[in-house]
This record gives sequence, structure tokens and C-alpha cells, in this order.
Amino acid sequence: MTHTEDKKSMLSQGIYIFVYLALLTGLEFFVAVTFKSVALLILVAFVKAALVVYYYMHIYKLNAEHEGGHDSYEYKSGTNRLGLWLFLVSDTFVFGGLMVMRINLLGLTHPDLSQFLGLGVTSVLLISSFFMNRGETMIKNGDRKGFLNNTLITFILGLGFLIGVVFVEWRLAAHEGLIASFGDPAKGPVGAVFYMMTGMHAFHVLTGLIFLAIVWNNGRKGLYDEKHYPVEAAAVYWHFVDVVWIFFYPALYLIGAAII
Amino acid sequence: MTKSKSVGSGLLLLVIGGVVGYGIGLGLDAVITGKPNFSGSVAGLFALLASVTAFFFGVFGYRGITRGLTWQVAGTILGGLFVTAIRFLMGMRGSALFGGFFFSEPAWVFGALVGAVSFLFGVGAVDDWMKWARGLDTPDHHEDVPGWEKYLGVSLDHKVIGIQYTVTALVLISVGGLFALIFRTELAASQLQFLTSTFRLFNQTGPQIYNALMSLHGMVMIVSILLGIAGVMNYVVPLLLGAHDMAFPRMNAFAFWLAVPAAVLLLLSLILGGFETGWTGYPPLSSRGPVGVQMFFLGVFVAGWSSILGALNVLATVLRMRAKGMTAMRLPILVWASVATSIISLTATQLIGLSFQLVMFQRLLGMGFFDPAKGGNPVLFQHLFWFYSHPAVYVFVLHGLGVISELLPVFVRKPLFGYRWVAMSSLGIALVGFIVWAHHMFTSGMNEYLRVPFMYSTLLVAVPTGVKFFSWVATIWGGKIATPAPTPLLFTVGAIFVFLLGGLTGPPNATVSVDLHLHDTYFIVGHFHDTIFGGFVFPFFAALYYWFPKATGRRMNEFWGKVHFWLMTPSFLILTFGMMRIGLLGMRRRIVDYDTALGFDTTHLVLTICGFLIALSVLIFLINFFRSMKHGEVATGNVWNSRSPEWQVPSPMPAHNYGVPFEVVGEPYDYGLPGSKYIEFAPAQGKKH
Repeated sequence: MTHTEDKKSMLSQGIYIFVYLALLTGLEFFVAVTFKSVALLILVAFVKAALVVYYYMHIYKLNAEHEGGHDSYEYKSGTNRLGLWLFLVSDTFVFGGLMVMRINLLGLTHPDLSQFLGLGVTSVLLISSFFMNRGETMIKNGDRKGFLNNTLITFILGLGFLIGVVFVEWRLAAHEGLIASFGDPAKGPVGAVFYMMTGMHAFHVLTGLIFLAIVWNNGRKGLYDEKHYPVEAAAVYWHFVDVVWIFFYPALYLIGAAII
Repeated sequence: MTKSKSVGSGLLLLVIGGVVGYGIGLGLDAVITGKPNFSGSVAGLFALLASVTAFFFGVFGYRGITRGLTWQVAGTILGGLFVTAIRFLMGMRGSALFGGFFFSEPAWVFGALVGAVSFLFGVGAVDDWMKWARGLDTPDHHEDVPGWEKYLGVSLDHKVIGIQYTVTALVLISVGGLFALIFRTELAASQLQFLTSTFRLFNQTGPQIYNALMSLHGMVMIVSILLGIAGVMNYVVPLLLGAHDMAFPRMNAFAFWLAVPAAVLLLLSLILGGFETGWTGYPPLSSRGPVGVQMFFLGVFVAGWSSILGALNVLATVLRMRAKGMTAMRLPILVWASVATSIISLTATQLIGLSFQLVMFQRLLGMGFFDPAKGGNPVLFQHLFWFYSHPAVYVFVLHGLGVISELLPVFVRKPLFGYRWVAMSSLGIALVGFIVWAHHMFTSGMNEYLRVPFMYSTLLVAVPTGVKFFSWVATIWGGKIATPAPTPLLFTVGAIFVFLLGGLTGPPNATVSVDLHLHDTYFIVGHFHDTIFGGFVFPFFAALYYWFPKATGRRMNEFWGKVHFWLMTPSFLILTFGMMRIGLLGMRRRIVDYDTALGFDTTHLVLTICGFLIALSVLIFLINFFRSMKHGEVATGNVWNSRSPEWQVPSPMPAHNYGVPFEVVGEPYDYGLPGSKYIEFAPAQGKKH
């Protein structure tokens, strides 16, 4: 399946990709509860990430040739796109560092968390990415109303994810003794790792929500009917936050044996 | 209002602000702790903040940097009070709210963060972005007011920002150098002379102050190096590329203005109890200690963001803003070096930010990342830390090595030998630099099987570095060197020589068997001062003498430039040789005192004298630098007879650079080849940017 430009096939491509991602997430969960192959979990995570990076974040656009001079909107958007991707590369090192910390301190164990809730918030974030992609496709095809609706749904789902992690999951984890484990040598650093990783990710979700709100508000005024790069930027950033979670979800919920 | 008059009123207000701030701090301290502490942190804190803000108020009025600093102070206090209020509501009283450092530690951390963000809003570095977020449009360019005032406020012009960076770097180099002089004086003789245990300053004893100054010397110098590199890159890279500005002018300004609150935070760390960890900030030492450690972490974190965003901008500029015909293999070497530097800054810097953040959380919330008692791993910190901090030294030197390769052909009037190899060697050093970090940890207790691979990867760095030396020597060979040698050439050749010494003393440290003996001795101190002087300080001075006419339309004084060089170079060589000698004999680094029986007194005295001579030479440079801006010999033409595009137009450079775009038609360094051309300006009807 190659990337495509007309509205209808772009929307249906978004649906196909979402179905693949959902199936892969199901496979991931199945692997985790049955034969626990770490290699397979890592492979699935990379496949999911590659799908999002290519089809939802359309990384191939970095390669696009631009008509017009250095002062054209197209060319400037290309420069902005490059800048955004460079920023994402930089940000990846933060999350990579957290992952290294997690592997070093926890190894083949993971915090004993609610699997139901984990799968739930993961699905919510994945669905939000799907609607983000729809919203972006619509504004590029001149459908302001569709863009606003889809962005609003993305925003609500993102907010749901944030609430699910920070207000539900963190509380449950606290009841499981994960905060108490900060000071408890017997329990190891599992609580510290869990709160740090989810906290850093939640901070990025929060900034993504702020961008979505700005884009939605300005889109309402009709600012992006012609020049829609800001929507693309907010979308790419939103998908990036999703990609991070694609790796953090197995790292925190699925890999290895559960410990307090 | 003329400049001298405003500087005068600034200095007057500096004194008044200092006295008033000291009085307020003393009073507050007396209220909180019951008795006034004349050398305490609170008095010093208010004196510093009030005097600096008042100085800029006198010079500049309530706008630009003054407004930023005022907002930073206000933001810090409000943020601190916010956390203090929450702690009060949670039932904490007394010393959990206020103490010898005024606020409690969590209040300081939150307040300092709010303060740094407030600075950016106050100074106006985010104005345009806030307008965009509200859906308003802003003009592409903001015209600067002519004269010196544009340097004290937000400007989007890359040349203004480059000069802002450079001057800030020079200020911080002076501050860091001053710190070095203070502790170098203490080291001149064995036993404690003036930093004794009865000495009290900022709630610290003499040896504690020594440790804080020694640590801050490291970090302030690192930040000043990053700013110095950013200064030269900002000024020169768009000119070399033929761009009218950087790719993201607003982010460029934002990155620079981040560095100012970062510098304030770093200085606050000295006042708020200092930090005794060395610049590396290893836990468990850094997970204890007063709140100064946190200010140090925050300062580095903010400065790190400045570096990351600056690097991002350089990469985007090089990839997107090149003149017509400037293909990869026709880029000036300095641009290649900037790219290599920026790749490291963009990515690895996040890891030092992360490692420091983790220690901050460990201190604030008790999360046991690096605490073995809670299942954490202190060696993990060292891995995360050195993953940035080793490549960081390549950030420091790669740009300087690029300056050497850029300047050398101009002065020996010959093509650069092996252009492609030199260009690729910068990238090679940068990439190999990512896999060598653990050579700092041979004695740390990490797994022993890691030692040998890291030894070999480290030795591998010598290969691309050797390519550079080979190119420089082959370029000089048979060249027509101008006599008397102009100052930039002196510093370029000095850089090659000093960096050679730094390079040759490197492999012994990389070799595990030798490093086990040399680790944490003065040999290491001598080695890295050689590399940093050769890779940054000498090329930085060379670049300043070389591009000064481009920025100001005047030349720096040649005589005093030569005095600077001939005073600094021998003093510096004696300094580092002396350091390496006593290091081999067993002098430990980072310590305030040493045993008289070791017999190092004479050497240390010589080292101290050399330190002061270097300081004198830099003072001469600074006077020359600032005096020449107004009184230097006028030089508006192609002073160095260079082929580079920026010298083909009159100096100083106009606001939007080249009025007429140019096209690259030849090789950049074909000096001395008859009829060869590097660039050609388009016919005059070319579109004006």
C-alpha cells in the first residue's frame, strides 16, 4: 500500500491502518498473556510504530521536492516539517534514556498493574490517533467542519487517556504500594520507574493537547483553510506521543513477570 | 542617552541595588532564623539579584533583558511562595517552609523553573509564538533599532544573536576564569591559606566554597563554550551558506535567551549552599547536599535546551537554506563541522538533562533511581550522564577544528589538503563519539567486560582526528605564510599545536591499564585543558580576530593581539605540562589541599602564576575587543583576501545579508589556483530578500 493523495482513498487508508494497529495490539496482548515471547513483543511494537510513522506521520514528506522559491509557503512548510522531525529525534533520546533506565533497573519484570486499564488507555490513545489522521485529511481537502469534529474527538480521547493514566492508574498504583515503594528497599525501584515513565509521557500528552486546542480554536476561525501546515504539525506531534506509548505499553505492562 | 553615561548610571544602580538587596536579604534572614547572618545565603541572594537587575535597568531602562530579569525574580518568588503555601496547607510549619536558604528545596526548584519561564515571557522571546497561538499574524522580519540597544533585547537577526551569544560567552568565560583564579590561589601552597574551615560565605566553609567554585568553574566554562560556539555558528554559518537568516529566527532568539536564566541559575547554585560534586554531579553525593545542587541541575537543564534548539536550527539551516550550487562537497568545512557538532548537541544533550532530572526527582520525591538502598543503580547515572558528556567534548572541539580548517588555507594561500576527508572526519568523530562514553567509568565498578570494547572505540577516535592533522600539516607545507603572521593565523597554528598535545595525551587515558593509575589525577586535568584550549579557546580567539572586521567594520589591534597570543600560549603550556607532571606523580584532582611532603608546592606556585598570566592575556584581549569596536582601524573590505562569500561584500554586513544572491561555481578552498572562482553574484536584478 503506497501513500495516496485523494480524500476518499486517504480516509480509507486511515481505516486500514487503524485496523492493522488494533489487530497488532490484540496480538501483543495475546502474546503477553500466553507464551510471553519478549522478542515477539518487541517486533510487534516496531511494526506498529513503523505503520504510524509512515502512514499517520507521513515521514516520506520529508523527501518531497517543493515547487517555488525559498520564500514560498510550500518551501517554508518543508523547513518547518524538517525542524519538527529534528525535534522528535531529539525527544526520542529522552524516551530512549527512560527505556534504558527501565531495562537496567527492572530487567524482565514489570509493575503489577491492572491489565484491563492498560489495554484500555492504550486503545483510547490509538483511537485518538485514528481520528487525528481523519481530521488532518479533512482539512487538507477543504472540509473544515469534518476537521473540527475529528480534532475535537481526538482531544476528548486524549484527555481521556490523560485522566486514565494520571487520575485512575496512578491512584490504583498508589494503592498497590508503588508510591510507598519509593522508600522501600524490598520492593526495588519499580514505583520510581513506573511514575517517571508514565509521568514524562503524560507531560507530552498534555503539551499535545494544548497544541490540539490551539489548532482547533484557530481552525474554527478558518485560519487553516488554505495553509494547513500547523494542523499537520499538531497531528505529527500527536502521533509521536502515540508511538512513544506503543513502546512504553509493552515495557510497563507486558514484558516479563509482574512484580510489585 | 550616550552609552558611557548609561553604563555609569548602570554601575551606580548596581551598587545601590546590591546594598538595598543585601539589606532586604539580611532583614528577611533575621526574621526567619532569628539572627542576621552577614555572610549568609539570603543576603547574598538578594544582593546579587537586585544588583544585576538594577545594573541593566540603569543601562537600558525597563525593557528587554531588564524586564526579563525582573520577571525572573518575580516568577521565582511567586513560584516559591506557591509551593510554600501548598506545604503550609499540608500542615508543614517552621523550617519546612523557610530556612537558611529562604525557601525550602521543593519551593526553590519549582520557583526557579517558573522564574526561568517568566524570564522568556518578560524579555519577549515568545511574543510572536503567543500571537500565532491566538491566530494572529506577525511580520517575517522585525526591524532592529540601529546602535547598541538591539543587543540587550530580543532581536531575530542571526548576526545580532551571534554577537549576543559571543558577548555572553565572554562574560561567562571571565566569571569561570575568576572562579579558577580564586581556587588556584588557594592551591598555590599546601595547607589551607584563606579558604579555611573558619571562613564563612553563603553558609559554606572555605573548603566547601573551594568545591563549589571548582565545580562551577567546570560548568560555567562548559556553558560559555556552548555559547561561544553558538555565537560563531550563528554569525558565520548563514553568511557562508548565503542565507538571509537562520531557518527559524524566533527559535534562534529563544535559544539564546534561554541561556541567560540558565546562567543566573548556575550562579544561584553558588549562593544557595553551593554544590560539592564537581561538574559531573554524581549521585549519591549529589542526592545529598544543599539546594545549590538543584539550582546547578536546573541551570544545566535550561542551558541544555538552549544548546538543543540552537543545534536544531543550524541543521535545518544547512539542509534548507543553501545558496544555489552549494552541494554537499562544496560546503565550507566550518559548515561541516557545525553539522557534526549539532548532531551531537541535538540528540545526546537530552541524556544529561534526563540524568539530572532523575536526580532531582530522587531528591524531591524519594524515587530511588540511583539509590542502591532502594534498588537503584548509581552506575546507571554515570552511563546516562557520560552518554552526553563525552560527546559534549566533541561538541566543544569539532567546531574549533572546523575553524582551523577554514582559516588555514586563507593564510597559507593554498587549497585545503583532502577536503572530502576533512569534511567526513568531522562526522566520523561525531559518530564514533557516541560509542566511547564508558571510558570515563573504567574505575566506576561497571562490568569489567565493557572496558576493552570502550578502550578500542576510544582509540578509534584518533583515526579521524589524525586525518585532520594530516590535512593541516599538508596544507601548511609549501604555503606562502604572510610575514608578520596576522593574529588569527597565530591562534590557528597555536590551536593545532596545543590540540596536538591534548590529542597525544588522550590515548594513554583511553588505555585501561594506564587509566586505572591516571584516573582522577591532575594528568586528566592537564589533558582536557589541552584539548579544550586547542579545540575551543584558541580557535575561538582566532575566529573572533578573523570575523571581527566583518561584524564591526573595524579591525582589532594587531599589536595587542600578538601580546595576547605570546603571553597566553607559553603560560598555558607551562600550566598544563605542570598539571600533567604532578598528576603522574599522584596529585589528585578536585581537592582543596595536598600534603606538603608530596613536594608539589613549587609546581603549584608556578601553575598559579601561569593561571594569572593567562587571565592577564584574556584581560588584554577583552580591552582590545571592546575598544576596537569604536576605535579600531577601519576595515570594510576583504581584509584577509579570502574567497569566502561573506568577504566579497563590504563590512559590516547589512541587516538581511546579501542584497544579491550568489551562486556557487567552484571549490571553496582553491587558493592560489589562477582563474578559479568559488562564488558568483547573480546579475543585479536578482530578487532581494
